[in-house]
Amino acid sequence: MSFSFYEGLVFGLVAIGVYLTLRVLAFPDLTVDGSYTLGGATAAVLIAGGISPILAMLAAIGVGLCAGFITGLLNTKLRLPALLAGILMMVGLWSINLRVMGGANVSLLREVTLFDMVADFLGLSSGSIVVSIIVAFVFAVIVFFILNWFLRTEIGLSLRASGDNEQMVRSLGVDTDKNILLGCSISNGLVALAGAVVAQGQGFADVGMGIGMIVMGLASVIIGEALFRPRGVARLLVAAVGGAFMYRLFITIALRLGMAPGDLKMITAMLVIIALAIPYIQKKLRHEWVPPAVRW
Amino acid sequence: MKRKKVLTAIIGIALVLALALPLSSCAAEKKMYTVCITQIVTHPDLDNHRNGFMDGMAEEGFIEGEDIAYIIRNPEGDMTVAASIADYFVSIKPDLIHAITTPCAQTVVAAAEGTEIPIVFGTVTDPVAAGLIPSWTEAAPYVTGVSDWADVPTQIDLIIEIVPDCKNLGIIYNAGETNSVVQRDELVDEIAPDYGLTIVEATAASTADVYAAAMSLVGRVDAIWVPTDNTVFSAFDSILKVVEENDIPFFGSTTAMVEAGACAGAGVDYYWIGQQCAYMAAKILRGEATPAEITPMTCEMLIPAVNLAAAERMGVTIPQSVIDKAQVIEE
Amino acid sequence: MGKNKSLLQLKGITKVFSRGTVDEVKALDNIKLDVNAEDYITIIGSNGAGKTTMLNAVAGVFPPERGGKVIINGNDITGLSEYKHAAYVGRVYQDPNIGTAAKMTIEENLAMAVLRGQPRRLRAASNKQRRELFRSALAPLGLGLEDRLNAFVGTLSSGQRQAVALVMATISKPALLLLDEHIANLDPKTAQIVLELTEMIVKKEKMTTMMVTHNMELALRYGSRLIMMHEGKIVVDLNQEQKAGLTINDLVTAFEKASGRRFIEDKILLRR
Repeated sequence: MSFSFYEGLVFGLVAIGVYLTLRVLAFPDLTVDGSYTLGGATAAVLIAGGISPILAMLAAIGVGLCAGFITGLLNTKLRLPALLAGILMMVGLWSINLRVMGGANVSLLREVTLFDMVADFLGLSSGSIVVSIIVAFVFAVIVFFILNWFLRTEIGLSLRASGDNEQMVRSLGVDTDKNILLGCSISNGLVALAGAVVAQGQGFADVGMGIGMIVMGLASVIIGEALFRPRGVARLLVAAVGGAFMYRLFITIALRLGMAPGDLKMITAMLVIIALAIPYIQKKLRHEWVPPAVRW
Repeated sequence: MKRKKVLTAIIGIALVLALALPLSSCAAEKKMYTVCITQIVTHPDLDNHRNGFMDGMAEEGFIEGEDIAYIIRNPEGDMTVAASIADYFVSIKPDLIHAITTPCAQTVVAAAEGTEIPIVFGTVTDPVAAGLIPSWTEAAPYVTGVSDWADVPTQIDLIIEIVPDCKNLGIIYNAGETNSVVQRDELVDEIAPDYGLTIVEATAASTADVYAAAMSLVGRVDAIWVPTDNTVFSAFDSILKVVEENDIPFFGSTTAMVEAGACAGAGVDYYWIGQQCAYMAAKILRGEATPAEITPMTCEMLIPAVNLAAAERMGVTIPQSVIDKAQVIEE
Repeated sequence: MGKNKSLLQLKGITKVFSRGTVDEVKALDNIKLDVNAEDYITIIGSNGAGKTTMLNAVAGVFPPERGGKVIINGNDITGLSEYKHAAYVGRVYQDPNIGTAAKMTIEENLAMAVLRGQPRRLRAASNKQRRELFRSALAPLGLGLEDRLNAFVGTLSSGQRQAVALVMATISKPALLLLDEHIANLDPKTAQIVLELTEMIVKKEKMTTMMVTHNMELALRYGSRLIMMHEGKIVVDLNQEQKAGLTINDLVTAFEKASGRRFIEDKILLRR
């Protein structure tokens, strides 16, 4: 249960990243699988090479920003559809990640990570769940405050409006292309940060660690929206993290009950379907009008 | 609001279950050992290993249900789930954890740090690079185990015996699997120059790419060899299709591969590895040794195996000298 | 700024859609138009006459064909992208959903609008001063919206949304206000309210306005200048004196004389 808490916070960062592109920009960004691993790989390689974990994580955020920026460029300058741009980046990053790590796996078990540093400071063991939760919590809080402020600035406002009503934003004199570049960059920077944190927590970075991350992000955002019905920036950020927590909690429970992880994917799909269907069914029962199906 | 109530109820029940279940595994009068086992994916070699482990434990006197309870979880390739499993294992404070394959071993060791749970790893190709043990001859305070690093030169010797004119050797592997890369590096950097072989590589990032990789080698190689690669093994049949169509001698690196249709291989016997892990685990459970005192092992058993029916399908004649000293696989 | 200062000049504006295909259509045909400061122009015409297309040309939604020029306040902005035109042009659309962002509050929408044409900075979008500005802009509407700054725009009625859109279009005092049948989707009662609000704002801010409408009576009653379009051309252009006291029938006759066609749009004649 406490592990789900830790996972909820750390994957909440991924969920917030996905929320930024998916909901705020209305840009479905699949780069996430690749940028998450890139963040983990970069941090791991640097730490194993002797760089301080803090710097390594800043570097991870940096490469995440770049990856997102390129995805945005593919869409705005080369006019690739958003979905395609993300997929191509995800595929390309697989090779890049292998190069970054010089292989498929970089071990951090013998290295001093941020978790070790915090554990030493608190006088606890590095494997302690308390340490993990504290680290994840601090990051989550920092990210929350930064984004909460940012999304209320003039730039942040125009980002949010871009996803809500792009036509209006253009007619108000905003270069929506720049918004997409900015949004994609920030989103993937966040996701890369999450990858860097998890790599240190789990003791290694592996080229396959990001597989399924976009699904997790999507599921978290959708569950969060269905459960918390958030309105306004602060609630939306909390809802993303809350959704991630619920999602991981369900997986933990399923595991304890002995459910085969192979079936876990089915459970995930069903969870998301239920979360989406509940409001729709409710409306129908109340004979309210439901809007037609959205293509995306 | 009704919906909120229903959801709260569901969450409430879920929480209760989550908390109650671990507690329920506590009651025992006679000492019932709890051993947790995990492997990254379902796979004949890994399953063989697990069976070898559990049989080995039984041999050592730990009867399931009476002396020992096993908790087995398999993340089916999902690393995030593997981390959840590792955390789960640590939370129930077992007497020993047996982690099969590199990613599982890594997550388990990381999750168990600070606890004193002994960990025996198995089928980890390079446990030193993975950070599990400080060196090949030295175990960590709570971690030891058996590596499946198969002796590559022995396998190449076998290939040369069966295909003496081999100049170009093809290799198919997933560059994303450390175990494969390690073996490929050894082949390309150390062995090929000694044997005067040219290595032609074909990589596959997933099972879907294996067929194309195999096809890309047709007409360019005299024989094909694959390392202990999970991706390749999962798509084994697609390679068989290609080599049988084109009469290319195809060699595997494990006994299971030869059983599956490679013509021959000097194989790692995963069942044997599992047994060795069990002997180590038994010593630890009985208190005869701590993990630190048990030297890590590599796989010394390389039995050549041949599959005559498969050889015929590929147009390969296996010399009698080889058949005599090998384990002959019947289909 | 005298009444005769030229605000907008359209020279030789032509626009062809789907060129080279079966659907090729010349939406605008060599339009020449001079708009002076404080002109309040109503634009009418049958469907496909080119009214909205002309507004789009002014707003920079697309570049005109070669040779055409769009000049605002002496600046040649032909061919610049839409968001660069936005500094000069405030626009209210027919669909209330297009002009506002539903998932954001009234305050946030206005905060967006007040920066029309300006670069966005990394500072708080709204503060006490801005909020006062918003309140004073909303209060005259008489809809109580100035007390609901934190309401999400999606919860407002169409009429309220259109009113907000109107304020958004004018709060930054752009050079030109474009109204594209902005009351067509509202029920008669709300439409009347929004129309009166439009009148009030236009008079108060002395905005140069171009209003497209389907409603001939409206076109006659409001505005200081009336333009009628047909098949991409301007066929009738009446100033204040010329349009005063005209009836719908007079207009129809004027149209038929100018274009040589019979005027057969029931919708316009019968007043939707």
